[in-house]
Amino acid sequence: MRVQDDNENAGGTSGISGIKSWLEHPAFQAFQASLPFIGLIVIVAVFAHLTNMRIVRPASINLMLRQVYVLMIASTGVFLIMTVGGLDLSQGSILGLSSIAVSYFSFYGIPVAVAAGMAAGGLIGAFNGFFHVKFKIPSFIVTICAMFLFRGLCAYLTTNAPVAAVMRITDLNVTWFKVTLTVSLLLTVFLIFRFTKLGIVLKAIGAGEKAARFSGIRTDLVKFLVFTAAGLITGFAAFLNVINVGSITATAGNQLETQILIALVLGGFPISGGAKARFSSIVVGTLIFCVLNNGLVMLRFNTAWQQMIRGLVFIAVVALTIDRKSLQVIK
Amino acid sequence: MANPILEAVRVSKSFGITRAVKDVSLSFGEGEIRGLIGENGSGKSTFVSMLCGIHSIDSGKFILNGEEMKVRNQVEANRRGVSIIVQEMGTLSGLTVTENIFLGNEDGFVRFGIKNTAAMNREASRLLEKYGFGHINATSMTDHYNFEDRKLIEIVKATYFGPRIVVIDETTTALSQSGREALFKHMKRLREEGNTVIFISHDLLEVIERTDSITVLRDGVLIDTVKSSEVGEDDLKRLMVGRELGSHYYRTDYDRPVPDDVVLSVKNLSVPGEIEDVSFELRKGEILGFGGLSNCGIHELGKAVFAASYGRTGKVTLGDGTEINSIRAAIKNGLAYASKDRDNESLVYGASIRDNICLPSIGDLAVKGILWNKKLNRFADKNARMMSVKMTGINQPVSALSGGNKQKVALARWLGKDSDIIVLDGPTRGIDVKVKADIYALMSELKSRGKSIIMISEEIQELLGMSDRILVMKNGRINGEITRSRNLCEEDLIAKMI
Repeated sequence: MRVQDDNENAGGTSGISGIKSWLEHPAFQAFQASLPFIGLIVIVAVFAHLTNMRIVRPASINLMLRQVYVLMIASTGVFLIMTVGGLDLSQGSILGLSSIAVSYFSFYGIPVAVAAGMAAGGLIGAFNGFFHVKFKIPSFIVTICAMFLFRGLCAYLTTNAPVAAVMRITDLNVTWFKVTLTVSLLLTVFLIFRFTKLGIVLKAIGAGEKAARFSGIRTDLVKFLVFTAAGLITGFAAFLNVINVGSITATAGNQLETQILIALVLGGFPISGGAKARFSSIVVGTLIFCVLNNGLVMLRFNTAWQQMIRGLVFIAVVALTIDRKSLQVIK
Repeated sequence: MANPILEAVRVSKSFGITRAVKDVSLSFGEGEIRGLIGENGSGKSTFVSMLCGIHSIDSGKFILNGEEMKVRNQVEANRRGVSIIVQEMGTLSGLTVTENIFLGNEDGFVRFGIKNTAAMNREASRLLEKYGFGHINATSMTDHYNFEDRKLIEIVKATYFGPRIVVIDETTTALSQSGREALFKHMKRLREEGNTVIFISHDLLEVIERTDSITVLRDGVLIDTVKSSEVGEDDLKRLMVGRELGSHYYRTDYDRPVPDDVVLSVKNLSVPGEIEDVSFELRKGEILGFGGLSNCGIHELGKAVFAASYGRTGKVTLGDGTEINSIRAAIKNGLAYASKDRDNESLVYGASIRDNICLPSIGDLAVKGILWNKKLNRFADKNARMMSVKMTGINQPVSALSGGNKQKVALARWLGKDSDIIVLDGPTRGIDVKVKADIYALMSELKSRGKSIIMISEEIQELLGMSDRILVMKNGRINGEITRSRNLCEEDLIAKMI
């Protein structure tokens, strides 16, 4: 069947929802989509200039990459959470506690250590998901609580001394190994996100949860699983973290949550989440973030200044990229 | 026409690539009620929004009393004597009725920096009494009142200060008969006092009856202004659509019996506080109408059949005995549901047309668990085209579409799923005549293919015109059954509703 055709005037606008519809112009959207990539090139160029090309030397690139792995992996989990319209502010505590678990169990073999880290992360993620879904508490509140709770636990477990992992774990601290793990994790999540119904389902929940439920999606279950998955993924990142540092103190993973948020937002991910989620945000965003960080160090800004600059960059990018129409959906 | 008090001079407005209003020049007389009509997306709302400072003007100007109006928001428009009753909810929750009425104009009650709440309340009570809305208590929270009463509060808010121009945008659909009468009374009063009323409505008969003259817009362009006493409904439809519409809007068959195969049976269905002990059977190829007053439970019933209600008891079974206990089971077994609440329940508001159309069928579209973009695109494109959705492409977000087009997308997703039983709640709510006709044609087509439809509607004409059988609900229970017949009239239905 075919209903009478009348396609001369595509896309009628109605009332107030039309005000910002120029934002939906294809050319503008294509431009907006490529902004993070342009940003990455610009920021590398600027810092290369300011540091007399020091930032693009192999030694500094190596240093930068060492910080990228954990951030990139953990961002992948948060990416999923933000796609359903949530936030996770407990990532730092998850990384800290999972790193302690990895260290404890590293004495029983590397696979056991990895499994323990992921189990610890997954449990905290499930904790977040459970309270968010069952008690209908907005996720940022639940995860702030989790942040304090598990940061406290971290501090308790490291009261007397840092928790050291088995000595030989640092033997794994070689670039190819870390790159392989990071790339395989990202690739796995990407393929699942892109080629199974998971991607479309997560975006739908972020873009309109009620309608998603009416389309046959078990929204509560999916949200619970997403938080758990984010915990598992960060638990995996904890393994790489331990490889890097060897022993864990109370502050391990501090501020990871804000670093992830800044990175994803820099990568072009609207902080309100939802249908505009693009996987490339993770990679581009974390790279921009690390270049920015190391550039500031090389330019000899002290930590206080670095933090202030990061804060300013964060608010500026959020203000520029935020999707005002869908603000009420942050869960 | 009397002396022009307000003139629009070549007013235009674009949203991105869409030109919503193009070079519209109009004049409005003193003491005139002017109807403003057109299809969804024809630019009516945008035009009056510019007049009232809700939207900025791209080019052109409004001249009020010989002076150009330059207003940046509704408060400034009010000061110039222009007010609007908007289509959406225009009162704020969490404030009292009084606070809503005087919002932005509290200054008159402030002395030495202190607000005299008692005086405000007294004045509000006096106004409500004067308007004949004495049942509304000035000191209560607006949340206590239903949509209709809140619209009445808006009428007071928009007119108490004696504005010269009052815009009423698509308000009557929210009102019952008595609410409408009250509104029409005040429109008349405003006219008698020499003011101008701009009245927007989809109900053409109402427009003809209640206005002095009627302006028609189509695709943002001014088509014509006609005298209400000289036109009929068909003339207006022709002006709106730009061509002759078939007079057979609804189904024309009457004596064709529906087969006896029961495809869905509902037994003792209850939802606490909403519906009670509802039982009925739906047959193959039947259009079963549900009618009643807006709080009678018909809307909840649709949700309950689709297993989307919380706390539902009773049984919903298919012809083969399969029980429907979850939304997933409903969809899997060929049930579809298009809610009255289009933006929140029917459509994933922030997502694209493509994702919306694909979502219910996502399991079927996967090949060994893998989704290929190409396949999704083809599927979405095919179904969107089948419904003739006006769009720039399937990746356009549904939030950018007009009401009628949103409904087309909402239907396209279930056409794609090829569901056998379709629950349509308010299928033509807020939709213009042309899309309405499309939707009725689609329903007849589905019926002839052996699909069954439950049509929930508050529009009596539509129920009479389309249903094989109508169940009328009252206070959450079924209060009567009416079988299709040529001789039915509105009163037969109303008698069972009240």
